[in-house]
Amino acid sequence: MFPKPIEKSSRAWQLGYQVLLPIVMLLWLAPLLAVALFSIRPDTDFLVGNYWGWPSSFEMIKNYSMVFSSAMPRYIMNSFLITIPTVIGAVALSSMAGFALGVYKFRGNLLVFFMFIAGNFVPFQILMVPVRDLTLDMGLYNTKTGLVLFHIAFQTGFCTLFMRNFIKALPYELTEAARVEGIAEWRIFWYVVLPLMKPAIAALSVLIFTFIWNDYFWAIVLTQGENAQPVTAGITSFNAQFRAMYHLMSAGSIIAALPPVLMFFLMQKHFIAGLTLGAVK
Amino acid sequence: MRYLLKATVASIATAIALAGPASAELTGNLKINLDTSNPAPRATMETLIAKFQAENPELNITTNVIDREAYKTQIRNFLSADAPDVLTWYAANRMKPYVEAGLLEDVSDMWADGTDIANELASTKGALTIDGKQWGVPYTYYQWGIYYRKDIYQELGLSEPANFDDMLSNCEAMIASGRKCYTIGNKWLWTGAGWFDYLNLRTNGFDFHMQMAAGEIEWTDSRVRETFDNWGKLIRMGAFIDDNQNKDWQQSLPFMIDGSAGAILMGNFAVSPLREGGLTDDQLDFHQFPAITPGIAMAEDAPTDTFHIAANAKNKDNARAFLAYIVSSEAQTEMNNGANLGQLPVNSKASVDDDKFLNKGFEMLSSNSQGGVAQFFDRDFPAEMAQAAMEGFQEFMVYPDNLDDILERIEGVRKEAY
Repeated sequence: MFPKPIEKSSRAWQLGYQVLLPIVMLLWLAPLLAVALFSIRPDTDFLVGNYWGWPSSFEMIKNYSMVFSSAMPRYIMNSFLITIPTVIGAVALSSMAGFALGVYKFRGNLLVFFMFIAGNFVPFQILMVPVRDLTLDMGLYNTKTGLVLFHIAFQTGFCTLFMRNFIKALPYELTEAARVEGIAEWRIFWYVVLPLMKPAIAALSVLIFTFIWNDYFWAIVLTQGENAQPVTAGITSFNAQFRAMYHLMSAGSIIAALPPVLMFFLMQKHFIAGLTLGAVK
Repeated sequence: MRYLLKATVASIATAIALAGPASAELTGNLKINLDTSNPAPRATMETLIAKFQAENPELNITTNVIDREAYKTQIRNFLSADAPDVLTWYAANRMKPYVEAGLLEDVSDMWADGTDIANELASTKGALTIDGKQWGVPYTYYQWGIYYRKDIYQELGLSEPANFDDMLSNCEAMIASGRKCYTIGNKWLWTGAGWFDYLNLRTNGFDFHMQMAAGEIEWTDSRVRETFDNWGKLIRMGAFIDDNQNKDWQQSLPFMIDGSAGAILMGNFAVSPLREGGLTDDQLDFHQFPAITPGIAMAEDAPTDTFHIAANAKNKDNARAFLAYIVSSEAQTEMNNGANLGQLPVNSKASVDDDKFLNKGFEMLSSNSQGGVAQFFDRDFPAEMAQAAMEGFQEFMVYPDNLDDILERIEGVRKEAY
């Protein structure tokens, strides 16, 4: 079995492993720890160069309440209002598209499927200008709807690939058996295939949720100001003309990172499943 | 208290009435985009806008505050896509691309001879003029200069340098005492550009500097080299803190606060964090960048922030009234006082807040800046040019021996940029 379990190696190896592991972990987590620590420091710690030492005073309540009295709750709300509809939209569309591509044999099936895959290979940055002009012409520039529609359109490609492969792997006999019973096609989808897709739907939802929540690029291209921007873009509102409020930005980042982290821990099982689904057949 | 408030509102009302075109109450909409995202300036702007609203209750004002850095990338976008009526920006070359793209409104009418604006803002008219027309109004500016640790200078028996030799000998004394002379965080390039501005303004003068900005002088010119030679003297003697290319400007402040560096060349905005970091006004002082070439008139950097009207604005009359209001001496005095922006008002009739550093800056700019007032390197030079040059400065501060290479490279960009 690879990797070899650590219990089976020599005592010296085990000792080295046990000593190195915490050190490497600390090193690895140092930036995150610094952010966490900065979020409870007073502003003056930064000014006097106390980056890694003990905080000169603990300002957790002050910093975090300042974050909540700023526009941050608004930005977080925006993030939810953008992320949740996108997850629902992308997953709903891709389940249906995946069903069609996975169950029906029609001419061009493979071509359509390849187009979905090819779309994934387009680097999204090159779409920046056309998408911005498109949202502008549609009157959706600087709106949450515009951002949601774009995200759905772009994520559906990846999701369809995922769903189609999952449905393809389901036993086709189930669909055939239902057909023999004379059940309408939409009922086959709804009562036979969809319940079987639950693990895929859960995995995909978690993945898409974190993708969209962490999106920064489209947030700054398609929106401006606190009426529509999600938290990833809004966090920089603690940057002033000359000074950056590092303690507030740290506190804000921690709060902004909580939903995807919570999502990950609550749905850990599905997350891992999502990453490996279809990898082993 | 209530009465006082009413009186203030009333007096501002009079001011607006006197300001000219805005005498009638305004109706309709006014959309304002601001980049004043940090708490104090934001509150200042919101208060002033609220007063404007109180004067014009029928006017429907929407304010959109965007954080300063994002604003810089979004401005082109919103000017063409979703234009506000009024917006904040910067003077001189920084507004040039938008003027040339036809995105800003020509407001020369507001600057016509004999108007209050023409009389009271005369000092900044040049910075807002492109092609003989004015494209906005200024609302605040601030001085640059050397902020230094007075207590350390006294301890070492040093005094404010009057010329470059003094500056070098002061620096030697600082280094001998185990300190660095100047702290600088040059990661984001503009801090080094401040040094170039001053060294070039002092070595070759304002007119030469502006010719350079206009692309008329080769970077390999011997006079430019002289500026770099002066800079090199400081770099080679170890005047600047180590690893300055890896620090942002805020990270350079701790050296000043703990006394391991004696001074910093910076804008007046450095005062507030230095005070918050624990320095008192007895410890912190300000002096003008000393003369280098004798006989050259002193010139200063004093970046000006501005208000403009978008060319695609829908409510230009309201926007003009707002611009007139924001530059009135009352609004200027209030906006720039220490509790608000803490900077200098541009209106000559406005009063400067009683702050040590604001007073010193104001005095310097009004009495000892005969050479002229520059905006700042990245506002005076075209963007492409400024970027390439500032990268060169950063390299020069770490590897002063690469000078020939660096100047060749910048010169190459100059040939293409103009």
